[in-house]
Amino acid sequence: MEMVALAPPAPGRLEDLRRRFFATPLQAILSLICLAIMVFLAWKLLNWAVFSAVFTTTGGPEACQAAAGACWSVIAARWRIILFGLYPYDEQWRSALACLTVVVMTVLSCIPAFWTGRRIAIVWGAGTTLFYVLMKGGMLGLPYVGEEAWGGLALTLFIFVTTCLIGFPLAICLALLRRSELPWISRTTGLIIDAVRSLPLISILFTFAIVLPFALPQWLIGDKLYRVIVGSALFFSAYQAEIVRGGMQGVPAGQEEAAMALGMSYRQRIGRILLPQAMRNALPATINQFVISFKETSLVVIVGFFEILASGNAAYGTGEWRFAYVEVYAFIAFIYFVFVFSLSRYGAFLERRMSVGER
Amino acid sequence: MISGNATQSAGPAVRIEQLDKYYGSFRALRNVSLSVERGEKIVVCGPSGSGKSTMIRCINRLEQHSAGRITVLGTELDDDVGNIDEIRREVGMVFQHFNLFPHMTVLENCMLSPMIVRKQPRAQAEATARRYLEKVRIPEQAMKFPGQLSGGQQQRVAIARALCMQPQIMLFDEPTSALDPEMIAEVLDVMVTLASEGMTMICVTHEMGFARRVADRVVFMDGGEIVEEAPPEEFFTASRNERTREFLSRVLGH
Repeated sequence: MEMVALAPPAPGRLEDLRRRFFATPLQAILSLICLAIMVFLAWKLLNWAVFSAVFTTTGGPEACQAAAGACWSVIAARWRIILFGLYPYDEQWRSALACLTVVVMTVLSCIPAFWTGRRIAIVWGAGTTLFYVLMKGGMLGLPYVGEEAWGGLALTLFIFVTTCLIGFPLAICLALLRRSELPWISRTTGLIIDAVRSLPLISILFTFAIVLPFALPQWLIGDKLYRVIVGSALFFSAYQAEIVRGGMQGVPAGQEEAAMALGMSYRQRIGRILLPQAMRNALPATINQFVISFKETSLVVIVGFFEILASGNAAYGTGEWRFAYVEVYAFIAFIYFVFVFSLSRYGAFLERRMSVGER
Repeated sequence: MISGNATQSAGPAVRIEQLDKYYGSFRALRNVSLSVERGEKIVVCGPSGSGKSTMIRCINRLEQHSAGRITVLGTELDDDVGNIDEIRREVGMVFQHFNLFPHMTVLENCMLSPMIVRKQPRAQAEATARRYLEKVRIPEQAMKFPGQLSGGQQQRVAIARALCMQPQIMLFDEPTSALDPEMIAEVLDVMVTLASEGMTMICVTHEMGFARRVADRVVFMDGGEIVEEAPPEEFFTASRNERTREFLSRVLGH
């Protein structure tokens, strides 16, 4: 006679649902009430956003305002302002291409095959140059467009990408300096990091945009946009440096000792052993910091830049579409969501990938 | 394994003279002197906190000594970074906690340093790595990550990784202390093979059977100083020193 131990059969979907939500009569009632509320809200939202909404601009603002649902016509009529801000109308294709460049560049650098120093450098070097040439023009037959006319999504992306591009390496340098064995180096670095972190971003942006020109020699002032980016990168790096340092503390001292015993130089130990492991430890917090920085780009409006949120204000702020601000903000929220959500999903992918071989 | 190195200097592999090491005001090493000939196998033992690990960690500058002199393969260890790098290339080390690089496969662990420190081409580094993985009897694990291996396997990888640099001296810092008992033998076997091939070895270990089988000399340390050094048969049977006999009765007593 054979004795085979069988695991109890796994409950089916329905059975699982019944156990979770309909175990007792009271629970069943509560579940049903909640379900009803959710269906009702979903219907309301769908009705507003789709069924009763107006999508075309044919009737103009008046027809749109009369409708019961959302007035997406405002997006159809004003999407160019939202995406490109004050950029000259006839040149807005350049701004669109520039946005595409940033997206392609970001996607490429997310692919593991590009994770060698040279490839990343080529992608980012070429990408940023292309972005800059497209946006600014003044060469290759493209009319010149000054930074003060940049706006919308392109400006948001430009500020975000350059902030990270400058801020991230700076953060790694600060983190390494902070763990220096020489006390005057580590203390000074710590002081700088803490000082920057104790200031609000707005005050830093304001200082860099408005106050700094009075303090700097003429040749160092540059355009306001680049000063703002430097300020924002500094802010980013102070926070990111602490995240990287935290990641480094999670790497056992034995790792560096083993690397030393194998004859590796300081740079090799940092680059091959310490940082890869530290960045893995720091990944969740790093993604978080990127997300925060992306959303904080909207603060540059305070020093007079029309990034996507401010461009949205302008899109509905001109008389006839004044009533349709909810739709404009919903649209902008959707754009933010697409970027931030992809960022988080990519972070989750990285975490899964990096946990290979870990137990 | 080591051949054709006609240029290597004469004299002992390691010479330690009147070494002192302080941690703050704590004196971890007191006037330690030890000379290790090429091809010699030294086992260092002693109670915990006796300075054994500190001493061998001074040999490749994982610890900086406070006073005295260390000469490795004719090069003196001083503040010259070039000298330190030169010595570290020729001195392999195996740690109690393996310290394999968890973000790389076993093969990559073994290839990294030969490639970036010795500037070997990839193909050569890989051939060497596979040869040494064969030697420590885990060639089939080459593509795994360290976290997927048992402690004994990890320690054998660590030995292979050190050997891939083709060092002239190997330091072992309690290589079996973190292992489950059934895995100790597989690591000691590899070390015995290595010893039989003429490698210069300095081993901090509590494995007295290994010491008896392999060591040319056993060094007993206590309180930061070398209390006694003797060939194993003399050390285990006819120790003259009270502290040594007490230590031995505790390690061998059951």
